[in-house]
Amino acid sequence: MKAKKEELLDIIYQSLDEVNEQLPNEARIQKSPDAALVGGDGGLDSLGVVNFVALVEEKCARKYGIALSLTDTPSEDDDALEDVGKFADFLFRRLNEISPVEL
Amino acid sequence: MKGLLISDFNIENLSSYLKKEPNAPAIESVSVCYGQVSQTLLDDAAPIWSERPDFVVAWTRPEGVLEAFRRMLDCCSVSENDLNEQVDAFIAALHRASRRTAAIFVPTWVISAFHQTHGLLDLSSSMGVARALMRINMRLIESLENIPTAHALWAEKWVQLGGPTAFNERLWYLGKIPFSNEVFKAAARDLKAALRGLNGQAKKVVILDLDETLWGGIVGETGWQGLILGGHDPAGEALVDFQRELKALTRRGILLAIVSKNEEAVAMEAIAKHPEMVLKLDDFAGWRINWKDKVENMIDLVAELNLGLDSVVFIDDNPVERARVREALPQLCVPDWPSDKRLYPEALLSLDYFDRPSLTEEDRRRVRMVAVDRVRKQSKMSVSDLDGWLATLKTTVTVEELNQGNLLRAAQLLNKTNQMNLSTRRMCEADFQDWARQRGHRVWTFRVSDKFGDSGLTGLLSIEVDGSQARITDFVLSCRVMGRKIEEAMLHMAIRWARSVGVRDVFAKYNQTAKNKPCYEFLQKSGLTRRSEDVFVWDVAQAYPLHAAICLVCEGSGVFEKTSAEINRPELIPTVDRLL
Repeated sequence: MKAKKEELLDIIYQSLDEVNEQLPNEARIQKSPDAALVGGDGGLDSLGVVNFVALVEEKCARKYGIALSLTDTPSEDDDALEDVGKFADFLFRRLNEISPVEL
Repeated sequence: MKGLLISDFNIENLSSYLKKEPNAPAIESVSVCYGQVSQTLLDDAAPIWSERPDFVVAWTRPEGVLEAFRRMLDCCSVSENDLNEQVDAFIAALHRASRRTAAIFVPTWVISAFHQTHGLLDLSSSMGVARALMRINMRLIESLENIPTAHALWAEKWVQLGGPTAFNERLWYLGKIPFSNEVFKAAARDLKAALRGLNGQAKKVVILDLDETLWGGIVGETGWQGLILGGHDPAGEALVDFQRELKALTRRGILLAIVSKNEEAVAMEAIAKHPEMVLKLDDFAGWRINWKDKVENMIDLVAELNLGLDSVVFIDDNPVERARVREALPQLCVPDWPSDKRLYPEALLSLDYFDRPSLTEEDRRRVRMVAVDRVRKQSKMSVSDLDGWLATLKTTVTVEELNQGNLLRAAQLLNKTNQMNLSTRRMCEADFQDWARQRGHRVWTFRVSDKFGDSGLTGLLSIEVDGSQARITDFVLSCRVMGRKIEEAMLHMAIRWARSVGVRDVFAKYNQTAKNKPCYEFLQKSGLTRRSEDVFVWDVAQAYPLHAAICLVCEGSGVFEKTSAEINRPELIPTVDRLL
C-alpha cells in the first residue's frame, strides 16, 4: 500500500463534498487545510462527524484495501478533528501504523 | 411544509436531505428520538404532535419493530400468526397516527443481504427470512391502502440506487444510521415527488423537440426515410424505447406536445409514415412546428392547452435551446439531457416530476380527451356564433353527490385545478370527505359529455348553509370544459337546490390567487350581483337560468329533497357513507 498526503487530502475533500450536501450553505466546510472541522468556527456537529469519518474510512478502504477505524483515537490525537490539515496528518499516521506509507 | 420523521434508527440524515434537496416543496422536518416508534404513533398527546405536521414519515427496520422478525434473523422458528399479529399491531399504530396528519409515508421494510445468508432456507416457509420479508411487506402495503392518508414507499428502490454500500455497517455502529447517504438522498427525492403529487404539483405535459430528440437525424435534410429510429442500431433502438416510455406516460395522464424548428408538413409526414414511430399524431395534445423562437412557441402552445408554464417539462437535445428556454421561462422544468441517445430512456425514467398518489380513469383517458377537444375546437371554427356551436355539441352535464366512487377524482380536481377555482382550497381525500359530512355541507360533482366524447368528471361545487344563506365554498371546473356553459349549469344546480331548501340567497366569495383570474371573469359576467369587491350574490327568489343547449341530469335520489330546516338536523346530514 502506498499513499501520498495529497491523496489523503483528496479523500478528505471528497468526503467533505458529500457532507456539505447536508449542511446549510453558511455552515459548509471549506476544502482547505486551514478549515476548521469542529469547534470554533467549524460546522460539523456530532452527526456530521459520524458521516464524515465513515466516508473517509470507506474511501480509504476502497482506495487502499484497508479496514481503518478512525474512532478509537489515541489521546495524543484528540485535536485530530480541529481542522482539515490536522485530520490529514492524523489519517496519514493511522495509515502508516497499518502499513508503511510513502510520502 | 412541516414533516415529522419517526424511526427506530437515526434518521437525521434524511432530515438534512429533505431540507437541502433543491426541488419543491421546501421542507422543515423534525425527527423523534430513534426507538420511540410505537410510543410516538400511539400517543395522541405527545408534544411532538402539537404542531400538527403536514406529513409524517414512519421508516422502520423490520427487526426494529417486529420482535418476531428479530427472532427469525436469529434463526428461531416463528409462526406466521405471530408475525402477522405484530405487523397488524404496527399498522394499527400507523392508522391511529394517520389522523394527526394529512399524509403518512411508510417505506417498505428492507434488510441487508448479510441477513439473507441461509441459502435455500432464505425462502423456506418455516424460517425463510427473505420469504417472510416479502410477506410482511405485502401485508403492510395492502393494509395501508385502507388508510386514506397513508402511502407506502418502495424502499427497495432506494437500496438499489445506494449500490453495494447501501447498508452501511460503519454508519450503523458509529451512529445507528443503517443506510449510506445515497439511500437517504433517493428517499428524499421520492418523498418530495410524492408530496408534489399530493399537492397537485406534478407536471402535466412533456414538450419535445423532434430532430435528435424524438428521432435521430434532421428530417428536413434526410426526409423521414433517412431518420435513425428503430432497426438494428443501438441509438435507433434506444429511441424506440424512449418513445415507448413517452407513450407510457400518456397512459398515466401526462400530455405530450411538440415544439420544433422544422417544416410542419415534413415533420408530420415523418410522424405519420415512419414505420418505427411508436408515437402517433393522436398521442400529441398539440404542437408548434415552425421556425419561430421556441420560447414564443412554448408560451403559445401551453396557453392553447390551458395549462400553466409550471406544469411543463421540456426535453431538447440541444443545450443552447435548453439554456434559452430556461432563461426565458424559469417556471418550466428543463432537465439536462444526455448527448448519448442510448441513455434517453433512462434519462426520462429518472425524472421524478410525474408522481401522483393515484390514477383515475380520467387520467388514463386524458390524452384521448385532449385530442377530441382539438376536433371540438375545429368544429367551433365552422359555426359562426357561440350558441349555434353549443347547440351542435349536445352537451350533457351529469350531477352526482360526492360518494366513495367519485371521491378520488373529486379530490384530485380540487387539488389540481388552478384557473376556474373560486377558493383554491387544497384538501386531501380524507379531509374533504370529512368536510362533506359536516352539517349543512353539500358537495356535487359534474360529469360532462357531448357528441365528441366524454370529458369525465370535470366540475365540482360545494356549498355550506348557514341559516338563510348558502355559501358556495368550492367552484371548480377543469379548463378542458371551460366556456361551454358548464359554469352556468353548475350555478343553476346550486341555486335550484338552494331554492328547494328555502335558502334566501346564495353567495360566492372569490379568493384571488396568481392563477384563478378566469374564475373572477366568469363571476363578473355570470349575472350574480356584486355585493363587494370579491363577493357575488344571487337572490334565490329568482331561478338561475340553464342554457338551452345543456341537458342536466341528476344522478341518485335526494338531491333536491331536503328543506333548509331539515338540512340542519343532524340525522339528515348527508354522509358519504349513506349515499353509497
